[in-house]
Amino acid sequence: METSNLVRHTIIQSLIPQSTEKAAGVAIDLWERLAAQINSIVGEGGFNSLYARSLFLAQSTFPWLAAGPSPPQTDQRFTELKMSFEGQTPALALEANCLLLITFTDILASLIGESLTTRILHSAWGDEISNMAGMELKNE
Amino acid sequence: MKKTGNGGASDAHDPLQPDGSGPHKDSLPAELENAIAYKENAVIDAETAILSREKLTTAREEAVHLRENASTLREYSVYPREKAVQAREDIAHLRETAVQVAREVDAHGREVAATSRGREIHAAERLQAVSDDHLSMLQEANAHLVIATIEAQKMAEQVQVAKEHLAHLAHHDILTALPNRLLLQDRLGQAIELARRHGRQLSVMFMDLDRFKYINDSLGHAMGDQLLQSVARRLRDCVRRSDTISRQGGDEFMLLLPTIKHAEDVALCAQKMLAALALPHRIGGHDLHISVSIGISIYPRDGQDGETLIKSADTAMYYAKENGRNTYKFFEPAMNARAIQRHSIEDGLRRALERQDFVLHYQPKINLHSGVIVGAEALIRWQHPKRGLVQPGQFVPIAEDSGLILPMGRWMLREACLQARAWLQAGLPPISVAVNISALEFGARDFLKNIRATLEDTGLEPHCLELELTESVLMQDAEPTNTLLKALSELGIKLAIDDFGTGYSSLSYLRQFPIHTLKIDQSFVSRIPGNTDDATLVSAMIHMGKCLKLRVVAKGVETPEQYAFLLAQQCDEGQGYYFGRPMVAEAFAVLLQTGILPTILRI
Repeated sequence: METSNLVRHTIIQSLIPQSTEKAAGVAIDLWERLAAQINSIVGEGGFNSLYARSLFLAQSTFPWLAAGPSPPQTDQRFTELKMSFEGQTPALALEANCLLLITFTDILASLIGESLTTRILHSAWGDEISNMAGMELKNE
Repeated sequence: MKKTGNGGASDAHDPLQPDGSGPHKDSLPAELENAIAYKENAVIDAETAILSREKLTTAREEAVHLRENASTLREYSVYPREKAVQAREDIAHLRETAVQVAREVDAHGREVAATSRGREIHAAERLQAVSDDHLSMLQEANAHLVIATIEAQKMAEQVQVAKEHLAHLAHHDILTALPNRLLLQDRLGQAIELARRHGRQLSVMFMDLDRFKYINDSLGHAMGDQLLQSVARRLRDCVRRSDTISRQGGDEFMLLLPTIKHAEDVALCAQKMLAALALPHRIGGHDLHISVSIGISIYPRDGQDGETLIKSADTAMYYAKENGRNTYKFFEPAMNARAIQRHSIEDGLRRALERQDFVLHYQPKINLHSGVIVGAEALIRWQHPKRGLVQPGQFVPIAEDSGLILPMGRWMLREACLQARAWLQAGLPPISVAVNISALEFGARDFLKNIRATLEDTGLEPHCLELELTESVLMQDAEPTNTLLKALSELGIKLAIDDFGTGYSSLSYLRQFPIHTLKIDQSFVSRIPGNTDDATLVSAMIHMGKCLKLRVVAKGVETPEQYAFLLAQQCDEGQGYYFGRPMVAEAFAVLLQTGILPTILRI
């Protein structure tokens, strides 16, 4: 995967574990929290549009990514995505999720700017980002 | 007050009572004066009494007044007390009022405070409600903006894809997806500039599929298109990514090799392509065979610009076709003259068809055992107004490539039938006349109809006509070929396989198709009996034909040794210079009458 100097990309990459058997669960958890934040700003329709577009673009690299329409129920929004992750090896699922998140946030940043997008990510994943920062400090 | 005592004076008889009728006093007697004095006294007394009474009354009144005063005083004293009480009451009242007011104020204050908080809460609630509404509206607006932007991105992407698709269409062939003529010319121009700058060579190959027209005409354009796609895939697999393989149109392809070191490298590439196309193409349940003729030009020796290089490669390609097809030729300057001649021939053929400048020659076929002429093969010649008699080898390939073979073949069939009929009518021995049929004619939709019409028009019996077909004509598509051959056979027409042994390698058609005759190619016959291999092959072909109940004819018999060998092998018939060259109809009529010279037949 291409490397990037963007803080946002670094955040996403830092949140994706190297390998875990619960890759699908980890991925969906990140999406659920991100969706909650995005919904509060652009509504369900806005999120669904961004998400569908991101899936479409990511499918060129990972054709097996969920292609079906999002179910109307909000709590089942990521069911298809989870199933498609579960059908792959954890490493591949995580790599695909990383690309999907980067694609999603790339589009979002192109609409609302890099700064606001990064703030939203902090709001969505604040704890994890703080933990990561703490771990990094410990490691330093 | 009414007087009630003191003298008892009565008011009823008082003469002095003042009224208008009483006497004047100066004239009143003493008694009267006494009475008057008495009365005056009485009056005084009365007045005193009255006065006393008045004094008493006054005293009484004063007493009353005093009492009243006292009472008033008391009353006055009560009032202050009352006032005091009142004041106390007032104070108490004021206190109560103050307390009340204070309480009320306090309560009011509380109420006001409570109301204020209520207002604040209410205001906050209203603000919250308004904020929620605004947030909801903002979310909705944001959602619309996001969706609209994403949709706009998608549409922009679709427009871009459409643009790229259009650009691709403009520079690529729709059928094969290969670069088209336009793109090749552009790349060739760039490659020439680079080669010029770096002092390098480049190569252009012009490729034309052999006899593609026949497949297209006989099997239909859909099959032809699939074959072109299959050929394109194979050609593409033969070249490097830096090379450009393009479809020029029809069955023509071009290859640009932008960097070459030696001409030998190009030859290797051409060989690779020929080999790649050698395997059959499996299309629509058919195994289709197609070969390609390749012409090669090299920059800078064969041309300094793209147009010249392409023209040189094209010329070399025609040269490859004339030299047996399925091969490649490098361009040589001498080919240009030949190309010019080729165009000249094509134009001349068109005029010859209009002016009927063709003539048929007939070569005898004899029964090898009896020596009797049993048939004649009609061979076309071109009576050129300036060049004289032109042999078929010089114009038939051009006629095939240009499609002129079709009207030429029909003319030939008609002429041969008319001639055979004329010989019969002239009382000459009955023979069959053989006519060569090209693949283009055989594949024509009205081929059978034309044969029937020709036989009907000329009055020739079908059994007197023999159609000679090459193996490559028969291999095109088994099912329609078989149907057509059966129809011809049912008409009574004889069918011969011409140039047997040189074409298609499958022999299954021999049992599948209603074939009557095998004509062994002269290339085998010419080397017998000296060449053991060829002798073995000829022997085998004769044996096989006889086993299959087919008549076997050996072509190209030129020597008595060949004749003897064929006779020994039980070959049925022979044809060649040894028995007779092709000749005009009149000469053939004479030969029919005289027969083959006995000296020739005596071995």
